[in-house]
Parts: sequence; structure tokens; C-alpha cells
Amino acid sequence: MQVLLQLLISGVLLGAVYALGALGLNLIFGVAKVVNFAHGEFLMLGMFAGYWLMTLTGINPYYGAPLIGVAFFLLGLLFYGGLMRFTIYKPELTQVFATLGLGILLQNLALMAWSADYRTVQVMPPGFESINFLGVFVPTNRLVAAGYAAVILGAVIVFLKTTFTGRAIEAVSQDLMAARLMGVNPNRIFLITFGLGIALTGVAGAVLVPSFYAFPSVGSFFVLVSFVVVVLGGLGSVAGTALGGLVLGIVETGTGYLAPDLKEATHFVLLILLLALRPHGLLGVKGAEKETLK
Amino acid sequence: MRAHGYLATGRRDLPGLALTLLVAVALPLLVRDEYYANVLVLILIYAGLASSWNLIGGVAGQFSLGHSAFFGIGAYSSTILYNYLGVSPWLGLLVGGVISVALAALISFPVFRMRGVFFAMATLAVSETIRILVIYARKFVPLPYSISINYEPGFWRMIFEDRSSYALLAGCYFLVCAAVTFVLTRSYTGYYLRAIRDNEDAADASGIHIRRYKLLAFVVSAFLTAAGGTLMAQYILYIEPGTVFSMELSVDLPLMSILGGIGTVLGPFVGALILIPLRELLVEHLGGTLPGAHLVLYGLLLILIVILLPNGLLGGLARLGARLRGRRPAARPEVRKA
Repeated sequence: MQVLLQLLISGVLLGAVYALGALGLNLIFGVAKVVNFAHGEFLMLGMFAGYWLMTLTGINPYYGAPLIGVAFFLLGLLFYGGLMRFTIYKPELTQVFATLGLGILLQNLALMAWSADYRTVQVMPPGFESINFLGVFVPTNRLVAAGYAAVILGAVIVFLKTTFTGRAIEAVSQDLMAARLMGVNPNRIFLITFGLGIALTGVAGAVLVPSFYAFPSVGSFFVLVSFVVVVLGGLGSVAGTALGGLVLGIVETGTGYLAPDLKEATHFVLLILLLALRPHGLLGVKGAEKETLK
Repeated sequence: MRAHGYLATGRRDLPGLALTLLVAVALPLLVRDEYYANVLVLILIYAGLASSWNLIGGVAGQFSLGHSAFFGIGAYSSTILYNYLGVSPWLGLLVGGVISVALAALISFPVFRMRGVFFAMATLAVSETIRILVIYARKFVPLPYSISINYEPGFWRMIFEDRSSYALLAGCYFLVCAAVTFVLTRSYTGYYLRAIRDNEDAADASGIHIRRYKLLAFVVSAFLTAAGGTLMAQYILYIEPGTVFSMELSVDLPLMSILGGIGTVLGPFVGALILIPLRELLVEHLGGTLPGAHLVLYGLLLILIVILLPNGLLGGLARLGARLRGRRPAARPEVRKA
């Protein structure tokens, strides 16, 4: 019983982290129908941003995350304006390889700049790295990251449902042509969405760095995890991303307990099965996986 | 171009044919320098691999990012059979090919239900799963992480003393892959595949058996990729899961096809001809002093190619030629969204 509770809590905390990491990917996919293969690298940059913020200025990444979010919003604007703008109405192949190329570029720039060392920061005071809850071990770093995930997921849902810009984003995501006819400028929405998606990814990276090691190739792990979360939860659905993250976190923690070496394989097997059996995910709209920009 | 019976070939194919024979057979006999022979072997093996990918990825438009699974199976099958049972790699090549065909047929059930980027992600997931399973399998079988093949030259051992023999072997491999592509693109099957690529729903409505033709392209592609894996293992004489099942390879093959001209017979060769020497040069000059620098350039190149040359160098040249002759560009094989 104790073991089950421990697995459940670890799984939920890990799942919240995964959901936070995947949110930016899903937002960009849902709106612009672009799978950003450089997503993991932006997360990696966010982790390094958190690391350097703490190392150079002493600001705890948990407090500095909003600052990093603003910086990454600008980075996202640059990403769209400098690259994705040229691929947006082109064939999928162009988008896959442009983002894949950017990912390779960023990963190796990071390697050149910061070497392949594993880095992390010590944020929690000694003796407070974990708390005991009903006899279960709860790492505080993960707890804070999960708290961040909950707040950000909630904020994004509120933003999309209540603000004018948010609703314009939803409109473009649901039907580009109709949104255009209603006077929404899709290119502006794409720009904002990329800014927002990359900002969320940067924040996720910064919040993760106290509990995960940052190194240049960490992104290739997160991009696949994020993709599984997005497909699991449903393409273009924020609530689905939260659910998808939790399911993956729990499944992975469970497999990790039973067969640690196969932990990674669960992602992929889950992904293949899902894509084949329920491509629109748990909460997604049916047919979303066949949609492209017209 | 008139259709002569089953194969629609024409006089315009002759220069390409002559060029292919020249690079595949004549060059290996001419190049004597060790360094250049090595580059030539790599170019020809990669040209064959990229041609194999091109069958499913280019001609049929099913964008696989998991071809390293077939490559790795080819490399592992022949190496294990040779090292532990003494089976000739020539037979090992066939075994690896058959296993790859079986895998392709098996995974076709889930992955063919997806299109475009989802197909890409699913095939990527398959190859990553296989890599993890190969590493995991060492728990049950006494297999070292990396396997070396002893250097004992011999034809039946598929190990040669001089590089030009390897180059000839690689040339023949490329020739087979190019010939298969040529036959496939000039036949009805090729037209069906291109119809599927351009618009799957319309192809379906026209009565084309979608699954049958996609599967055909997929298994042939898988078989040829596995054969390339065996050749590479016999050339390098060393394999490990991290390199033969690497995602880098899965990305290289489409990149070469795109660079040269996706869906064309000689495009993958042109891509390999440019990328392999470029990589050798970059690794040589930057690899030691600035780790990662050559991959930064590689990533940049990838971005520039897909944006500036979506139809590859051959497509670009054809358009340039048409423009110089004052004609309107011919309807080019546009790579379309699924």
C-alpha cells in the first residue's frame, strides 16, 4: 500500500512536470499545425537560462521563471519571424526539417558554449530536499514544479477562454478560414502563439533545472516525451495535455518500478499504440491528426 | 515520354543511366588513393541507403524517420551470425533483410494509419524502441555492448584488403538501389505510389489499393536499408546500438534525398555526393578543435536546403534549365502535404 501511494505520488509529480514541458509544443501544434522538433532544445535553453540565472546572479529559478518567460517570449517571436514564417504554408516536410535542423543547431551551439557537462542547481535549503507525507517521500523540487505546472496550465486555459487574443488563438486553431473571415489576422496569431509557446517552454525548463540535470542533448529526451503527452492528451487541448502528462507520469513510474530498463520504451510503445488506436487522444477532437493548414 | 510496354522509359534516361554506371562501377576501379577511396565507399553506401529511403519517403511520400531500425537490424543480423555462428555475411545480409521486411510488414499495421508528421513520429518511436530493446536484450543473452569483427580478409567473409574492393561492392549496392528506384518510378506501381503521395484520398477513390502499394514500397525499402547496414558493418568492422540505431542516420537519409531531389532516381546520390565529403571535411577541420561546430553548420544547412531548395538540386537545375531555354518550368513533382 505504501509502495502504491509512493508510486502514485511520484507519478503525479513527474506527470505534472511532463505536462508543463509539453504545453508549448501542444499550443504551437494546435494553432499552427507545426510539430516543433526543436521543442526539446528550447526546453534545454530554458534549463540553462535557469541555471545561469542562479549561478551568475543568485536569483532562484523559481522566482526568476517569469523573467525567463519574458525573454523566451521574445525568442519565440524571433523563432517565428526569422524561420517559421517561411515554412508555415509549405509542405509538412519543410517544417519537420527546418525545426529538426534548428534543433541540431541549438543543441550543438549549447555544446560549444557550455560543454557536455551535466549541471543542476541546489535551490532548497539542506534538510528540506524532501518532505514526509503519510510515510511517503515527496521531493520538494518536484512539488514546486508541479505547483508551477498547475498554475500555468490554469492560467493558459483562462487566457484562451476569456481574453480577446486568446479566443482569436482558439479560433485560428479550430478553423483557419473561418477565423480569417471573422477578421482575425492569422499571421499575427501565429507570431503570438510561437512567442507564447516558447515562453511556456522556457519557463518549464527553468522550473525543471533544480530537479533535472541540464546538458546540451537533454532536449532529445524531452521532445519525445512531450510528443507522447500531446498525442495522449489530445492535439490542441490544454486540459488534455495535463491529463496526458499525468497518465504518462504514472505509467512511467509504474514501469520504472517493475522493469527500470524498459522505462524509456514505455513512451514509445504507448505512442505507437495511441497513434494507431486513438490518434485524437483522450480529450482531443476527432480528426485533428489529419488536419493541416489550408 | 512514351510508354514502352510496362516500363515507361525514354531516351532522356540514357545520360542518367550512363552516369550511374560510371560512378558505381568505373570510379571504384579508378580511385586508388586510400583517403579518396574511403570517401567514395561512404558516398556509395549512403547513396544506396538514401535511395532505399527515397522509395518509401520520396516516391510514396511516407516520411519515415525510423530507417535506422532497418539499418541496425541489417548490421546486427550479419554481425551476430558471422561472429557467433560463422555464417557468411552474404547470407547474413539476406537474413537481416528478411527480418527487416518482417518488421516493416508488422509495424505497417499501426503506422500506415497515420499520415505526414504522425507517420514520421511513429516510425521514429519504432526505431527508438528497437534500440532500447537491443540494449535490454543483453540482460538475457551474453552479448557485449559493442561488437568488433576480426579483420580476416576473404570474399565469403565479405572483408577485403583494399578499399577499392569495398568501393566496388558499395557501387554494386548503389546500382541495385538505383535500379529498383528506376524500375519503380517508371512503372505503374510508381504512378500509383505518386498518386498516393500527392493525394491519398483521391488515389483511394480512384481504386488504387493504398495499403498494398505502400506496403510494397516499405518492405523493399526496408530490405535494401538492411542490406546497407550489413555492408557498413562489414566495412567498419565494428557495431554498437548507439551508432547503428542512431537517429542521426534516420535524419541523414531524408536529408540527402531532399538535397539532391526527393522522389528522383539520382537525387539521393547527388545528396550523398555533397553531404559526405562536406561532413568529412568539417569533422576533419572543426571536429578536433570545436566539438559540435560541424553539426551547427549541418543544422544550418538543413534549414537552408528545405527552405531554399524544396525540390533539391536536381529540381532546381531542371527549373534553371527550363528558364534558360525560355520555357515555362515544367510541372514539377511538388512534394505535397498529406
